[in-house]
Amino acid sequence: MADTTTSAGSEKLLSVRNVYKAFGLNTVLKGISLDLDRGEVLALIGGNGAGKSTLMKIIMGIYTPDKGEILVNGKGMAAGKTSEALASGVYMVPQEPLLFPNMSVEENIIIGFQRPRAELHKELVETMENIGWHIALDRKASSLSIAEQQLVEILRGLMRKAKVLILDEPTSALTFKEVESLFRCVEDLKANGIGIIYITHRLNEVFQIATTVAIMRDGVITLSGDVGEFNHNALVKGLLPTGAEQETKETSIPVDYGKEPVLELQNFSGYGFTDVSLKLYPGEILGLAGVVGAGRTEMATTIFGMDKVLGGKVLLNGKDITGMKTRDVIKAGLNYVPEDRHANGLFKISDVAANTTSAVLKGPKLGKFLLNKKTEREMTQKYVDDFRIKVTGQDQLTGSLSGGNQQKIVIGRSLCTDPKVVILDEPTRGIDAAARGDVYKIIHKLREEGVSILLISSDMEEIMELSDRAMTIYQGRVNCEFSKEDINQDNLTSAAFGLTKKEVGA
Amino acid sequence: MTAIKRLLKVRELSSLLFLIALFVIVSIINPSFASSENISACFNSSVVYMLVAVGMGFAVIVGEIDVSVGSNLGFVATVVGSMLRDGENWLLAFAVGILIGAAIGLFNGWGVSIMGVPSLIFTLGTNGILRGAMYVYSGGAWVENLPKAFKDFSSVNLVGDLTVYCCGCIILVAVIHLLLTKTRRGRYFTAVGDNPNGAVLVGISAVWTKVAAYIICGVMSALAGIIFCSRIGFITSTSGNGYEMKAVAACVLGGISLSGGVGSVVGAAIGSVIMSSISYLLVFMGFSSNYDNAITGIILIVIVVTDSLMQYRQSVRNRHERLSARTAGTVEGGASK
Amino acid sequence: MKQNASKAGGPNKLTKGLKNWNTFLVIVLVLEFVIFGAANERFLRIPLLLLSVNDFISICIISLFVTFVMITGGIDIQAGSIVGLTSIVIGVTWQDFGLPIWAAVALAVAVAALCGALSGFFIAYCRVQAMVITLGGSFLYSGIALLVSTLSSTESYQGISGFPDSFKFITSFKLFDLIPMQLVIFAVLVVIAYLLLHVSKYGRQVFLVGVNQDAAEFSGINSKLVILSTYVLSGISAAIAGIVLTSYLGTAKSDLGDTLTMNIITACVLGGTLSTGGKGSVIGTALASIIIGIMRFGMPLCFDVNTQYLDIPIGILLIVVVVGRAMVNKPRTAAILAGLKNKFTGAKA
Repeated sequence: MADTTTSAGSEKLLSVRNVYKAFGLNTVLKGISLDLDRGEVLALIGGNGAGKSTLMKIIMGIYTPDKGEILVNGKGMAAGKTSEALASGVYMVPQEPLLFPNMSVEENIIIGFQRPRAELHKELVETMENIGWHIALDRKASSLSIAEQQLVEILRGLMRKAKVLILDEPTSALTFKEVESLFRCVEDLKANGIGIIYITHRLNEVFQIATTVAIMRDGVITLSGDVGEFNHNALVKGLLPTGAEQETKETSIPVDYGKEPVLELQNFSGYGFTDVSLKLYPGEILGLAGVVGAGRTEMATTIFGMDKVLGGKVLLNGKDITGMKTRDVIKAGLNYVPEDRHANGLFKISDVAANTTSAVLKGPKLGKFLLNKKTEREMTQKYVDDFRIKVTGQDQLTGSLSGGNQQKIVIGRSLCTDPKVVILDEPTRGIDAAARGDVYKIIHKLREEGVSILLISSDMEEIMELSDRAMTIYQGRVNCEFSKEDINQDNLTSAAFGLTKKEVGA
Repeated sequence: MTAIKRLLKVRELSSLLFLIALFVIVSIINPSFASSENISACFNSSVVYMLVAVGMGFAVIVGEIDVSVGSNLGFVATVVGSMLRDGENWLLAFAVGILIGAAIGLFNGWGVSIMGVPSLIFTLGTNGILRGAMYVYSGGAWVENLPKAFKDFSSVNLVGDLTVYCCGCIILVAVIHLLLTKTRRGRYFTAVGDNPNGAVLVGISAVWTKVAAYIICGVMSALAGIIFCSRIGFITSTSGNGYEMKAVAACVLGGISLSGGVGSVVGAAIGSVIMSSISYLLVFMGFSSNYDNAITGIILIVIVVTDSLMQYRQSVRNRHERLSARTAGTVEGGASK
Repeated sequence: MKQNASKAGGPNKLTKGLKNWNTFLVIVLVLEFVIFGAANERFLRIPLLLLSVNDFISICIISLFVTFVMITGGIDIQAGSIVGLTSIVIGVTWQDFGLPIWAAVALAVAVAALCGALSGFFIAYCRVQAMVITLGGSFLYSGIALLVSTLSSTESYQGISGFPDSFKFITSFKLFDLIPMQLVIFAVLVVIAYLLLHVSKYGRQVFLVGVNQDAAEFSGINSKLVILSTYVLSGISAAIAGIVLTSYLGTAKSDLGDTLTMNIITACVLGGTLSTGGKGSVIGTALASIIIGIMRFGMPLCFDVNTQYLDIPIGILLIVVVVGRAMVNKPRTAAILAGLKNKFTGAKA
């Protein structure tokens, strides 16, 4: 489509030609083409679910594309063969490092090689010396921090004399210092003629280290070229859905901040977040912005009774619900729509009805002992109609639905319990633009019905679009609060990245 | 100092200590146990278990299980036993036995790894087929009258009171252990069990590694079947029953994690000595052999439950530490305090 | 944890498949009658056929509730040993401890439920693989059964006999002078299991926990308790099987039920229970267990197959079903399969 790279030069280090991939009904890649030269750092940006990770797995030979081909040095690679990708010098450092937890660092790095161990050891020590990273080689991988694990992964790639190195959101779990040393390493690699695909969703990183940039959205590359051709705003535009030129926000009923808050956190602490205090008022949408790993999800799941509370209080309508079991929290009137809908939300081989009503099995709504199928049908139909969920019938299995419809069902499930407060965690992750619009409408409608919403998102535009008030969370602490007028991309992004002053953006 | 610490972390060592403690306790209760003869007997009688357990160890290390090892042993014993009884060439009989074992392993590997059927269910089916095949082959009759020389070979001592089989077995285990830890491909088994996705990423084929593990498991069971013939001297239609259970127990006792990726064949071997010694030790402690099963069950359950709880605690602690580290990273501190 | 991805393949086919599956099972059952009936007309004599029920009624009863366990993603290979334990507990407490027979029965059921609960607790709350715990359980409970049998004055290999008529009545009574009581018990259990699994809220929870335990927790379902409860149910069903078997044989022995495990698992899997959890049906399991039972009855009668050989067809059945299912989900492997198949047919013979 809007792909500007010409695929004429067959001597490119890596060329991806017109790759298509679908999972079930969900087409993830719709004709991707891109090229990578020696010494080039290609920043690949895109929201969650844009298809970046899928594309990388295809390049690595983990997935087989439905259509299209991958060329390394002008030579076509057999699809779906990891060993061949490795042999031609492609190596990926995955977002969540896939180390062998019970092996030592050294074993982790040299496994899979066909050369003598002593030789590898020597080379490994030299490589570490070269890039100035030190890590005890006899440590067990399970004792490493995420950053250290990533380091081990990169060493793995370097030891393999990788010519193409794919870094999949390498900085998402790193501290500032670690990011710096990673960038130095990337510079070195670049100088050595290694081509790097650098996946990120942090725009400022693009300008720091990339030479070229490509933006992916909904399975296509919408924008690409030299970094110099773009500024911050141009990139943001590429990320936005076409035609989403900011619909005029309907002025809705203002929130009455004089009322008692529905949900109140008092110095709430747990694993991954510390000392969080906030108030959520009736009929309010409170945006909680933060990058992945900032502690947002941990906070939400701890409120929801999934993890240990380390301090502070949670009050729901003045009632203390701190440390309650999940089912009691639901009963008290709070529900949570999980961030990872595949792992924690959906029952894929169960039907639409069973999914929608799964949270009300505990209460008396669906009958005392026997399941009242009629009530179940009605309840499900209500959400199918209200949310415009596209299903062939209530007995369709949710695994075969598109991401957007799945998400609507998970939201519907949480509403079945008549909550006063709903925590939505990344409600539009991995769903297409149309479904996103629908989800936004649902959220607005809920607000009108008087449900209070805590909206967790790393998508700043989402926060801007929906919130009455916004807070940012950075490294486990709430660091800023913005009233409706102050909510804008710059404010949110800089706060979410821990920069209190405006310095991001052009 | 660190060397000692590292040594203590070795799971096999704690199994070995457990075994020694067991011997010491029994010796204290009944001093007549403490003789080289008795302790050797514990080792000698464990040979068949040891082979099966080492084979099972491979399946478990790659994260699967094989409950057909017992009937594999029984079937191979029936076939090899009958061939020997009928005066066939020994080597030919052994070769046929090993080949059958390998074929069974390949079949299991195909079903579990290539077809992706849950290992317990698939091997349970194989187990049934082999158990029936034993009846068909033997016609339900005992296989007896094996060559005397073959039977007598089992009681030839090589070192002290240890039999040739026992010594051979220990050497075999040592060799396999070295192959597994010191060669490139040897580490693949642990790697695949540890993290199959990660293995794929460094170019290790999880599928074929598992198939290989099953073949090795089948061959080891077949080997056990041959030695079974020699040691016991006759094969009934229920020979080999229950070995799969004891082999799993031996693996667990030897420190092999049932979720895969952790453990060694040495551990499995030590575990099998513990398992097979229990009934022997019970006699010396004045219990009847009726306690055998109950005690085996209790030991198995206690060990897996402890192991599982410890691992769970560890993973929760790791997660919490990781999460806490993130918040602790706020050096300049947030707005609060 | 569970791999959900593997379950997602062709999910729509699965439900439809399950409905057709029961039809398929009925056809198989009818075929069995036709083939066995044609081979030997004695097979079709109703009294003989009904009498044969005693040989496989335990499989039918237990597999109904092991289906629950397998739907939660677990497995139960200890049920067989609980059958023996129940039997010997009844015998010893009645004969040697002088308990009234029905009190002995009640005690045995309680013991079985406790055994199930113990294993279920370790599985659900200590997160140990179900396979290993029930493996250990099968040792432990059969070991305990053996120990209990030593408490008796009767030698364990003889078995305890001489039960009162009221107890034998369980299996000697015939409804309408034709249908044995065991079948009535089975029918009642099928209805109970059906209500529990497919009509009640509890059954829905069992399914949801099996499909995705984490998602169930996020829905406020007490997934651990649900898992534990299924093992209690299967323990109780094993106890019922033990009672029926003891009553029919007239003797209590500690090793009854030793050989049931594979038959039970086969019945569940053949009945349409997904071995990875989340799918299954009571009707399917009931039909499959009857198919297996009829096979165990018909093959020796009609084709002169030795009873001891029966593990072969059952084992083959199990493997064919699971591999067949796997193949439907992974069409790509069909090619590899074809290649390997040749090798096997050579090696296995």
